[in-house]
Order: sequence, then C-alpha cells, then structure tokens
Amino acid sequence: MTNPAHETSVAGTGNSSTPVLVKALAWGALFAVTLGVVGAVIGAIVVGPVGVWSALIGAAMAAVFLGITVGSILLANRFHVAAFFPIVLGAWLLKFILFIVLALVLKDQPWINTMVLFLCLVIGVIGSLVIDVVVVMKTRMPYASDVMLPTGYDESQDQNHEA
Amino acid sequence: MEPTNLAELSGNIATVGYGLAAIGPGIGIGIVVGKTIESIARQPELSGKLQVTMWLGIAFTEALALIGLATYFIFTA
Repeated sequence: MTNPAHETSVAGTGNSSTPVLVKALAWGALFAVTLGVVGAVIGAIVVGPVGVWSALIGAAMAAVFLGITVGSILLANRFHVAAFFPIVLGAWLLKFILFIVLALVLKDQPWINTMVLFLCLVIGVIGSLVIDVVVVMKTRMPYASDVMLPTGYDESQDQNHEA
Repeated sequence: MEPTNLAELSGNIATVGYGLAAIGPGIGIGIVVGKTIESIARQPELSGKLQVTMWLGIAFTEALALIGLATYFIFTA
C-alpha cells in the first residue's frame, strides 16, 4: 500500500543536483576572487591603476555570468518542473542582454583598459569551466533524485490488516 | 555611362559579429536543453544527473558566446 502521508524524501532535500551546484558556485567564487587579485597586480604592473579596475571588472563579469546559470538551476529546482526551462533559459537571455549593455557602457570609459578586461574575462570563463568539470567529476552523486520511499508505515492504522 | 552601385555597405562590419556569435551558441543551447527535456521525460528519476550534465553543456556553449561577444566589443575600439 502506498499512502502519500507515509512517504518521505530520500536524503532530505529535493533534487540530487543541488550539492554539486552549490559546491561549484562556491569554488567559482573563490577562483574569481583569486583571479581578480592576481589580475589586478599584473594589470597594475603592466598598465598602471587603470589595469587594476579592468582586471577586477573582468574577473567579476566572468564569475557573475557563469554563476547566473548555476544560480538559475538552483532557483528553478525549488519550483515545479514546468518552470525549470523558462527560468534557466530566461536567465540566460537576461544575462546576454546585461552583457551587451555592460560592454557598450564600459567600452569607451577612460578608466578601462579593454585588453586587460578581455584577457581577465577569457581566463575567468575558461578557468570557471575547468573548475565546473573538476567539481562534477569529484563530487559523488546519487543516480536517483526526488525519490520517495514509504517509511514510518504503521500497521495498526491499516484497517485492512487482520488483527 | 557611370557605373551604378547596386549594393553598398557602410558603417562597421563588426556589428555582424554579434549575429555570428549568437547563431552557434543558440543552436547549441537549443540542442542541449531539448535533449535534456527528452531525457527527463524518459527517466524523471535521473533529473539530478541530467541537470548537472546539461549545466556543463550550457557552460561550455555559453563560454563561446561570451568570448565571441567580448571579442566584438574589444576589437572594434
């Protein structure tokens, strides 16, 4: 007999992809901070104070734009499955509109060195991809998610049970 | 008789760059997401693993789009 009131979710929390995504988000943030610091130092040496801002903005852009995908999947997991793809792909669309606007605004600013920004952005994007792959490979993940098992079954409440 | 220009292109050809940078990733993301929907429909219990695989697919595809867009803005200065 299956009674929904007796079912509990295995491992407690919803989808099995959540721990992997959270871990990737954390490592991605750490990588972005490291890249920002290293890039700022190198930028300062090569082109002066302008390079510091460019490196920090480039690293932040890479982290935010790759983080939005992970964040949108985590957010979408809280809702019904029908909302999953609109949320994930909607976030993707918004991200690119944001990117174009940001690029247009930053392009002609005197306090930006476009080459430093570009290099930081590319290194940030590629580094984040490497981190994502490593996190996915290193994290143990159960095959099944959202599994419901009948537990806490109380025979005394079963009216069909012969006493 | 003077030669006539039937077609003339003025302005910056680099504006076509965004279109080119969007076509590939657009097709890629469409295939990744579509196949994930198909897979989750076949085996809903696998949705966690499929989501992670899909996310990696999206990440790699969007990296191309990001670099393509950034290239356009930086090299047209």
